[in-house]
Amino acid sequence: MALFKLHVPILDDIKTKGWRSALVATVDQTVERITAGINIGEIRSILRGEAPRRPNPRVKPHADGFWMHMRPTFFHEQVMSLYPTFRLGWLTTYMLVFETITGLFLMLWYTPSPDIAYTNMLSLLSNVPFGLFMRDLHRLGAELMVMLVLLHMLRTFVTGSYKKPRQFTWFTGGVLLLLTLFLSFSGYLLPWDQLALWAVTIGASMAEATPVVGREVNLLVRGGADIGANGLLRFYLLHVFALPLIAFIFVGVHYYKVIIHGHSLPPGAEKVGEDTARKVPMERRLYFLPDVMTRELFWTVGWLALMVFMVTWGGWHAPLEPHADSQITPLHTTAPWYFLWLQGMLKLGDKVFFGVILPGILSGLLFVMPYLEVGPSRRYADRRIGLSIAALTIVIMSVLTFMGTPYYGVSSSPDQEVLTTLAPQTHPGLLRGTAYDELPVGEWVASGWNNAPSQGLQAVLQLYNQEIERYADQLVNAKGKMSITEIQAGLKQVTMQVEWENNGAHASEPLTVYLHRDSAYEH
Amino acid sequence: MITRVALGTVFMVATLMIVSFTAIDEPARMAQFESGYHGRSVEAGAALYANNCATCHGPDGKGIAGRAPAINAADLYNGTRFKEIGWSGTTHDYVHGAIAGGRPRASAAFADYPQRMPTWSREFGGPLRPDQVNNIVDFVMNWEETALLEVVAEKPSDFVAVGLDLKDPVLPKGDVAHGEKLTQTYGCVACHMNPDMNVAPGPGWPAKYYSGGVSIAERAATRFTAADYTGNATSAEEYLRESILQTNVYVVPPYVANIMPKIYGEQMAAQDLADVIAYLQTIK
Ligand code: HEC
Ligand code: HEC
Ligand code: HEM
Repeated sequence: MALFKLHVPILDDIKTKGWRSALVATVDQTVERITAGINIGEIRSILRGEAPRRPNPRVKPHADGFWMHMRPTFFHEQVMSLYPTFRLGWLTTYMLVFETITGLFLMLWYTPSPDIAYTNMLSLLSNVPFGLFMRDLHRLGAELMVMLVLLHMLRTFVTGSYKKPRQFTWFTGGVLLLLTLFLSFSGYLLPWDQLALWAVTIGASMAEATPVVGREVNLLVRGGADIGANGLLRFYLLHVFALPLIAFIFVGVHYYKVIIHGHSLPPGAEKVGEDTARKVPMERRLYFLPDVMTRELFWTVGWLALMVFMVTWGGWHAPLEPHADSQITPLHTTAPWYFLWLQGMLKLGDKVFFGVILPGILSGLLFVMPYLEVGPSRRYADRRIGLSIAALTIVIMSVLTFMGTPYYGVSSSPDQEVLTTLAPQTHPGLLRGTAYDELPVGEWVASGWNNAPSQGLQAVLQLYNQEIERYADQLVNAKGKMSITEIQAGLKQVTMQVEWENNGAHASEPLTVYLHRDSAYEH
Repeated sequence: MITRVALGTVFMVATLMIVSFTAIDEPARMAQFESGYHGRSVEAGAALYANNCATCHGPDGKGIAGRAPAINAADLYNGTRFKEIGWSGTTHDYVHGAIAGGRPRASAAFADYPQRMPTWSREFGGPLRPDQVNNIVDFVMNWEETALLEVVAEKPSDFVAVGLDLKDPVLPKGDVAHGEKLTQTYGCVACHMNPDMNVAPGPGWPAKYYSGGVSIAERAATRFTAADYTGNATSAEEYLRESILQTNVYVVPPYVANIMPKIYGEQMAAQDLADVIAYLQTIK
């Protein structure tokens, strides 16, 4: 008996059938192997839009292939139109994968150390082809993913898809919500700019208020009393390793639950109290190959096109502020938008109650809600109370979010408000955005804006004047002064100071801004 | 399904097109970002300078007598200052080193200042981050352009440039000491007084700095009679005058044309030129 036998079937085929049909047969077999069961003939038939033969050969990849075995062979056609899912779950899954891929590119250029992280960002933007593009896509993807998760949650609530037997699906969804928020939040710190440092500092100080464990947890995450080298490294590892890993696991659990219960049908499509998602009549089946797959790909490609458009011609760019500096607190620091509601809540009163206990109870309720709200009907007409509560929650959240912004309840001196509107610490603002040559050297006053010699200066002084008038009750007879000098070739110094008379003469701290000819904020 | 596939293909092609357009623009975008960032660095440096340095070096960098030397001064950028201490690196590195590390020990030239230059970079125990030190260096180096032109700025109101001709105007009698000073203010020394003949951009003036072992005074006296001489001078004075004003008429081998600036005809008055020539003729 031979110990080793080499057999190349194509050689036999060539002998018997001739090389042409032998080659065709081999290619066909190879395609079938890769697709786990679909040969070229079947692909052509799919593309021609022909109905499958019986038994359906197109379900074979679901049984034999790794990727396809995660997906059902068919869906109810009623859950495959835009309503009721709005494809939100699919798009969120796509975002998670998308963020992983774009994130891997960014990792190549990034070192998690306060000494070099910011410089890394600058060289990513100035020296790496498509560096800006990748960074923008990753950042945009992160923001969109948070929005998509929230919308997806809202839709599963509205269609009552959290009800029996899908309570646990909702629960794992809750875990995914938290993971998504923390993934986004942990990424916030990495560029190590002012925005990053202060947003995270605020977030951390909110968490610090948690009774008993707040300080310890904070110490553990930040690696010290303040966010520094240790904190950055920990956030980085959470962001690129721990959180994505857990998220992928939970997406697996979440989707497994979705499959075993079947996508819930639109609430009106079945009798109250019944769940017919798993019993799909023959004639209402929509097979994964090709219908569901082409739909999903269509949405993927469309969404990608939208994002690429936004970060290129749409002009959306990830922010990058000056280097993080714990000595310089920007006048108004805010948490990321999805935590603004918390910041708003903190303005209501006691830090521990409004910042930790109440939000804690609320998010706890979110998890167990399906186990408490056990009304049998998923129909909208039967759930007026539940839907009203959802609507109310959205309104309250929006109000709290607004209250979290600096527009609400932040007391700082009006003169500083006026000056920082012109030259904010957290983004360029109008003054820096004005072209270098539009800011002529000289002494100017806000009220004389319409006599300014250039359009750019006119716009700046007009805003200056407007802001002063906004606080007219506190800034009595105010005069907004601005002096522009050129202190170096291509470098101007703009000093602004507000003087007013309210029970005696006052003058603000002067605010000095330097503007270089090349700095190109206006772009 | 056909519509979906078609529309999806359109999206895909559109995306690829946008990406290719972006690709075409990338080099320009990166260059723009680079210069934009340099500008912002100078801005940040200006604020740091005002807060940390102006008290000693003056708000305009002109120095404060008895406190700290000028750093917005021609001699820092044209290399004169380095000659005295034998520094062979760039001005940028010199300034960076001085700021980052400070000067715990007085250098001979500045020994009379009561306070030493502090250390600034965190790397050496100072208060600033390395990137902030870079910002300040960018700000300081931004003085270079105007500092080098300073000579022009200090011209008296009755200044008349000497022009390019070799005989007209007839030069007055030169002042050797003043001529020597002028070679520093004009920055000639950076190129002509470099002890290292291999790196000096121009021919050294003293015999010991010149590969042929003869000083500029002796060279001037003989060169206009040499066979390969291509200029129009008929005397040592005219040779020097021509070398300073019309630098390319005769290029001293093995040096190349256009290294020596062609600006002195406009920058010097007849007296200045006479002083410099007088000084050159005394160099051994
Ligand atoms: C306490 C006063 C003081 C302050 C503050 C100070 N310097 Fe100096 N600086 C000096 C003195 C004195 C010297 C000369 C040191 C020496 O060589 O002995 C000097 C030298 C220098 C030099 C080198 C000049 C040369 O020709 O060698 C540079 C560049 C410089 N300073 C930049 C700065 C910058 C930038 C700052 C702000 C970050 C600063 N200095 C702050 C006192 C000061
Ligand atoms: C940037 C460097 C540079 C500076 C600054 C410079 N020179 Fe020169 N100089 C050269 C070079 C290179 C040559 C040789 C090539 C040539 O003749 O053009 C030269 C040649 C000369 C010669 C002729 C030397 C010889 O060996 O025959 C004279 C004289 C001279 N320079 C004078 C001056 C004076 C005076 C100044 C200042 C007012 C000055 N140079 C500034 C680079 C410089
Ligand atoms: C990373 C975040 C998440 C991903 C990737 C994800 C993914 C999905 C997908 C693909 C589906 C199937 C169909 C669809 O509705 O599109 C689904 C269904 C579902 N999700 Fe999520 N989800 C996430 C977060 C959440 C959250 C935050 C909740 C609510 C707290 C939630 C609750 C549900 C429920 C209840 C269903 C069942 C819907 C039905 O059967 O009709 N999910 N999810």
